[in-house]
Amino acid sequence: MNSGLKLVTLRQWSRHKLRLSLTVLGIALGVAVFFAVRTTNRTLVDSLNSTIEKLAGKATLQIAAGDEGFPVDVLKTVRATHGVELAEPVTETIANTVEPANEKLLILGLDVGSDLKLYSDLFEEGDMAIKNPLAFTSRADSIAVTRKFADRFSLKDGDTLRLQTLTGEKTFTVRGVFRSEGSGEIFDGNVAVMDIAAAQSAFGKTGKLDRIDVMNSADVPTDELAAGLRSQLPAGIKVVRPNLRGQALENAVSSMHFGLTIMSFLALTICIFIIFNSFSISLNQRWKEIGILRAIGVDRGGIMRMFLTEAVVLGVIGSLLGIAGGVGLARVAIIVVSRVTATFYGAITSGKAFSIDYVFALEAVGIGIATSILAAWLPARAASHLRPVLALTNIETRQKEYGLNKIRIIIGVGFVIAGLLLVRYSRAGIGMNIQMFYFVFVQFGMILLLPMFIRLGSKVLRPVLGKLFGIEGIIAVETMAAAPRRTVSTVGALMIGLSFVIAHAGFIQSQKAALDHSLDKTLGADFVLSSSNQLNARTYHFSEATAERLAALPEATATDVISVSAVELGGEEISLMSHKMDAYFTMSPDLLDYGDPAPARAAAVHGEGALISNNLSFRANLKLGDRIRIDSPTGTLELPIVGMFDYFRSEKGTIFIDRELYKKYWNDSRVDYVFLNVKPGTDRGVFKQKIQDTIVGEQAFVYTHEEFKAWASRLIDQFFALTYLQMVIAILVAAIGLVNTMVISVSERRRELGIFRAIGGLRRQVAKMVMLEAVAIGLIGLFTGVITGLFSAYFLVNTAAKVVAGFTINLVFPYSITLMSIPLVLAVAALSAFFPAFNAARIRIAEAIGYE
Amino acid sequence: MDRIIRFAGVTKRYETEDRVVAIDSVDLEISRGERVAIMGPSGSGKSTLLNLISGLDEPTSGTVFFEDRALSEMNDNELTLMRRKKIGLIFQTFNLLPTLTATENVSLPLRLDGMRRRTANARAVELLTRVGLNERLTHRPDELSGGERQRIAIARSLVFNPPVLLADEPTGNLDSHTGADIIELLDKLHDEFQTTVVLVTHNSSAAEHCERRFTMLDGKIVSSNE
Repeated sequence: MNSGLKLVTLRQWSRHKLRLSLTVLGIALGVAVFFAVRTTNRTLVDSLNSTIEKLAGKATLQIAAGDEGFPVDVLKTVRATHGVELAEPVTETIANTVEPANEKLLILGLDVGSDLKLYSDLFEEGDMAIKNPLAFTSRADSIAVTRKFADRFSLKDGDTLRLQTLTGEKTFTVRGVFRSEGSGEIFDGNVAVMDIAAAQSAFGKTGKLDRIDVMNSADVPTDELAAGLRSQLPAGIKVVRPNLRGQALENAVSSMHFGLTIMSFLALTICIFIIFNSFSISLNQRWKEIGILRAIGVDRGGIMRMFLTEAVVLGVIGSLLGIAGGVGLARVAIIVVSRVTATFYGAITSGKAFSIDYVFALEAVGIGIATSILAAWLPARAASHLRPVLALTNIETRQKEYGLNKIRIIIGVGFVIAGLLLVRYSRAGIGMNIQMFYFVFVQFGMILLLPMFIRLGSKVLRPVLGKLFGIEGIIAVETMAAAPRRTVSTVGALMIGLSFVIAHAGFIQSQKAALDHSLDKTLGADFVLSSSNQLNARTYHFSEATAERLAALPEATATDVISVSAVELGGEEISLMSHKMDAYFTMSPDLLDYGDPAPARAAAVHGEGALISNNLSFRANLKLGDRIRIDSPTGTLELPIVGMFDYFRSEKGTIFIDRELYKKYWNDSRVDYVFLNVKPGTDRGVFKQKIQDTIVGEQAFVYTHEEFKAWASRLIDQFFALTYLQMVIAILVAAIGLVNTMVISVSERRRELGIFRAIGGLRRQVAKMVMLEAVAIGLIGLFTGVITGLFSAYFLVNTAAKVVAGFTINLVFPYSITLMSIPLVLAVAALSAFFPAFNAARIRIAEAIGYE
Repeated sequence: MDRIIRFAGVTKRYETEDRVVAIDSVDLEISRGERVAIMGPSGSGKSTLLNLISGLDEPTSGTVFFEDRALSEMNDNELTLMRRKKIGLIFQTFNLLPTLTATENVSLPLRLDGMRRRTANARAVELLTRVGLNERLTHRPDELSGGERQRIAIARSLVFNPPVLLADEPTGNLDSHTGADIIELLDKLHDEFQTTVVLVTHNSSAAEHCERRFTMLDGKIVSSNE
């Protein structure tokens, strides 16, 4: 930019610091959200991979078979395979500590008697301080903890540690401390090592392994060894490189990443409105100055460059600030996301330190600048096309505004209708990248229609505010309607922010309603016992004996015994649930959405058929009568599909088989849930206590039917914890848009307000007018936000939920959030206008009139 | 004729680095129904004088009286109501609200006073017809010529039938023909309403329409035709 124009711009900046600050803040917020989301996604994936890699030690291959593990005999087969240099058996358990209280401790069961070469990062250089190795291996209560854990809880050799085991609380003795590196680094150092036999015994894994870590010999390549092992092992036991296990987890959390990414783009969209607004106002403030510059010989290109250079500089400053803010935001988001990942995907993230990815940072700066230029383009173009004579002499032409353009309305309506029709009627499997455009169509159409909504809104609000607040209300609405350029950008920012809130609130409520309906159909039990209060906890289980004791209670009329596992189908991890099918059908007679109940029940009970969730049917294109092949540790099981129903446990899908069949193929009798029906008239409170007395000492969570539904609903809230955080950010960004507009609007309208005062407007009338204008903008933003939010929610339930997880859910209008939004928006509007109104009322009239 | 405006030893200083004295110890009386022209070069204090009469600005010392009441005794609300109902302001740059139509601009002071829109608009239409703009009622300022804008401003200033009209270079932004039309219109309105007119102008032919003419220089009244 020419140095003369630079001088003019810098003077403008020093004169309009507030506008400048709010613009930079708008850019910073958009970039902060964008950067934080990308960083969170990356850190989470890195962390998941890092966990897998660190747990694998120096292993080049891992042998695993899902949550239920596999028989210990497999170790012999593996060790006997040509090319295996080392093969170490491992069990993994996440145990709850009792003392110190409420910690989660990852307990690795290792063959401590071996030289543990694969895990030398834990134990090399004498850092595995086991004073008495013989005592460590010979006593079942021995445990070694990381130095970090020991230091945190002041544990030393010989101190005790109380853990919740499968058979109740047990005391363990610290007989070793190891390095907080490698495996010891994950889980924030909450890692312990036990001898494998003791770990198997304490955590119900006797005779089973969770994995075998393998290192190939120098003369046999890893892939060749993997092929050799696969040929010797049953299909249900997987042989993979450690890094591929990380990819599977990455796949599992993909839907969460998708939601986060949508949020980051919405934040940037709101950011565009804020910057557009700011530059439009800057154009109005500088109208005469531009006229003078044109008059003294600055060409159109020079004016355009002046504006765009300003956009670039503000983009750079805002982006750098945004990255600083994004680092803080990412730290919070990572904590939330890690919890969600652990609860819902059973995935442990490592203690991998948060670090700034400079590529992301550069990308974010680039996006910030691009957004800034994009938003400044139209105002810059308008500035460069100003007619100098008009700009210099005719003050009133400053406010030349565009009216309603019929073509714009037709295009806007066309986009909205096209988007909604595509959401409703297009095939679901086209691909999310294409289907995202349905959402973009609706949003874009609504943006085009904003002037129309403002016009209509002002017609509705004018008499209402006039009735409530007198002439100031009427003038406020008229002023708002007469300045669509200013109003559109603020209403747009509010609309996008609120639509995000309404859409996600609608989506969450729709999910909850669908889950509620599904639980009524699929969970007819009066009582539910769970071995964990998390969806995917894999440590604590009941024994069959416990289930039998419960079934023997005189009040119990039916007992279903369930275990939860996972199998691979089509490269994805599918939830596998085994039920006592007869009891399941008795308790939930309306279970099936598809399939004839009587033959389906007969086939399922006899292990001759499987039930599947509707989302698996959709995702894997499976229909009634199709046969599915399920790999188990003892071979492949092939069953026809005899029934299908809605079930929301897994985004990837769920298969239901009879428990006896599961036990036979998976050699696993552990129990995760027990469903109980009781005799009519049984006192629920008394019976609940009776259950707790029956299973005393075991980790168990007892729920009545309604309590279990409430717990499931809370789980959904936990899953969407980050979404709630995003909602707050969306409102915050939209509020900044409103504050921006009101502050700048007063400064822009200084002369207008001066005239208003000069011809007899009282101070309180001016203040009231400014406040009411903000309220009017807020209300139209709210209205358009709710409409757009509902359209977006319709997209989320019809397209996103279907494509990402195959879920079919009906849209539920989020009444509570919508009603809550009204006072919230009004409060934000009033607050954002308070100081501008105060300043407007105290304007110096003579100065303001001669302001230009 | 009874006195409507009085300046008693009024000084207005701007506390800038060189302490500009815009009005320097001015004593002045203007009677009801009079037409007064104030002339002088740029920076002589003419516009400041009008600002002090209308209460848009406060004197540094001395007192300005309106209808024998010291403006310094009035609070902001009283000053505003005085401006709304008793003083019509006409500016060189028209000072219309750009987002409002001609009718809305004229009816605005009435509506600020609580008058219903329909009644206020009817009064605005009456005045706009009086100034020859009955064909431009729904036009916004940017759709009108400079002369037409000034006519709107004049109609607005008369909407309460104020006893005083303060006109600051009302022809300054207009060509000579249009300027003459505006002065003629002011004459007609003065004859009709017997309004006191204080006209600040560079234009000596416009000033000749006034019975009293003062010339200001460096904040002082240096000559008059009396």
